[in-house]
Amino acid sequence: MIKLGLSAFYHDSAACLMINGEVIAAAEEERFTEIKHDDSFPYNAIEWVLNYAGIKITDINEIHWYENPDTKDDRVKTIFNKRPFKTFFLRQRYLKNKKNKSPKNLLHDLGYRGEIIYHDHHYSHAAFCYFTSPYKDAAILTVDGVGEWETTTISIGTGKHIKKLLTIDYPNSLGMLYSTITSYLGFRPNEGEYKVMGLAPYGDPTIYLEKLQSVLTDTSNKYLINQKYFTWEYSDKIMFNKKLCQLLELPPRLPEDTLTQDHKNLAASLQKLYEDQFLKLVETAKNITKSQNLCIGGGCAYNGVANYKAYKYFKSVYVPFAPSDSGSAIGACLDTHIKVNPYLGPSFSNNQVRKELQKYKDRLLYFNLSEEKLITKVGGLLQGQNIVAWFQDKMEFGARALGNRSILASAKNAKMREKLNYVIKKREGFRPFAPSVLEEQKNWFGVVETSPFMNLVSYIKGVGKQGYVIPFPAATHINRTARVQTVNETQNPKFYKLLTEIKRREGVGVLLNTSYNLKDQTITMTPKQAIDRYLSSDINFLVINNFLIKKK
Amino acid sequence: MKLKDRAKRKIAEWQKKKEYDKKIAELKKRDPFVYKNF
Repeated sequence: MIKLGLSAFYHDSAACLMINGEVIAAAEEERFTEIKHDDSFPYNAIEWVLNYAGIKITDINEIHWYENPDTKDDRVKTIFNKRPFKTFFLRQRYLKNKKNKSPKNLLHDLGYRGEIIYHDHHYSHAAFCYFTSPYKDAAILTVDGVGEWETTTISIGTGKHIKKLLTIDYPNSLGMLYSTITSYLGFRPNEGEYKVMGLAPYGDPTIYLEKLQSVLTDTSNKYLINQKYFTWEYSDKIMFNKKLCQLLELPPRLPEDTLTQDHKNLAASLQKLYEDQFLKLVETAKNITKSQNLCIGGGCAYNGVANYKAYKYFKSVYVPFAPSDSGSAIGACLDTHIKVNPYLGPSFSNNQVRKELQKYKDRLLYFNLSEEKLITKVGGLLQGQNIVAWFQDKMEFGARALGNRSILASAKNAKMREKLNYVIKKREGFRPFAPSVLEEQKNWFGVVETSPFMNLVSYIKGVGKQGYVIPFPAATHINRTARVQTVNETQNPKFYKLLTEIKRREGVGVLLNTSYNLKDQTITMTPKQAIDRYLSSDINFLVINNFLIKKK
Repeated sequence: MKLKDRAKRKIAEWQKKKEYDKKIAELKKRDPFVYKNF
């Protein structure tokens, strides 16, 4: 049985190929087009997964589409009908685009004549997080902007079955609310939410909390969002209106405006509001499922700070490696538990890498080392405070670089964060970096369980006599938290060896790990991208497979 | 409240509203500043 899973047209389009119950390959379209969060039909990703397996589209038995276009269409039309005059032009644009977005037509044009199976948007999220989890029974909480109608669901997973128990429908959406304030703060929605999370610890959450709370009404187990402040239902240009400005008594920030303490306070208040509402949903999930285990899915599951609070009600918490729409391309294919790791994308042989390197021989020095020598050498370079771009094997699927397309540096050097933010990645100075740590040394980060996909933010224990010293300042946020990745040998053997080498040299196997991309770029996919980005940045060394590369 | 103070307050409110309008109009021009839901 050959299945192709697809997601597209919101954000993070992706394709996944599954053969006889095993995920063979999966990739996000953005890596091929280099358009961040690309929402277009994933032609490139489809082509790559098919080529990878050496099959044609006509060999596919079933295509699983991650949502139901008819139900989504019903929602959009119902919403437009509420304001027929105000949405007249928007409706025309929507209808015009709709013709070009029919999965059936698009797949027919590609030559596919088989069955297309449509799944509910939130089912695809739930299936991805539950069926890739280690649990045979679990509560499943999915939270995002919007799917067809649903914005939040609570389900129970038992064996091969997922049963939906509670839903919250559009326009009541925590994800949309978070994105709205993200845009209010001058960051691009569906991208800048990370920045808001990073900014939040610099602010006072009490300043705007009451005002933000006033847009929400809590009902039994659910929340309602007062639409008088928002334009989600009738605008594709902006997400809020003047009433929100009057409520907050703060002008919206343009991207080029200076970030003030007011903006930091608003970010902090939003994060607090989100955490409170999220925790209520978690409590509800506990009460209605009685399970000890929780799976979290949907785009909001990238909010690692909120995720970690779920331990208040659940013994075990699982967040998959790509909880947003890209992961739903995998989720849509699943009807039972599988073991899948995030390394599902393109890889390149040493010969391919050598050929690429030869094109740059006047600008680069490169050495093909044995794995043992490479690990020892790179360990020494990192200990010597060098920044190393680390490109290995298969590209990760999802928003996180998990040791195959990473920029690595010492987590012990406080100045490293500044250097990486301002000099290398040229991004806002307030944004934190994440640490990767050997699984056996995870206690340094106070995590309850392993965190292989960097989706949980925990508090770092201090060291020293008073416990005030932060052991890994470059990978610790201002509020002493870290979005930690725990690494074991099975998960990523080469990265594990490198961390073990760091442990041998420094006592703790910890490195700062950030995605290998520069400002506004998608994560590196090919050796050519890796080399070009290395040459255009101040990164000290580049490693591709077993090649150690240095600028001349 | 004195007439003068009331007038001052009204002017301040009007100026704020004008600033909100200006910022919203500017944000609308940015491409695209929304979370897609259609």
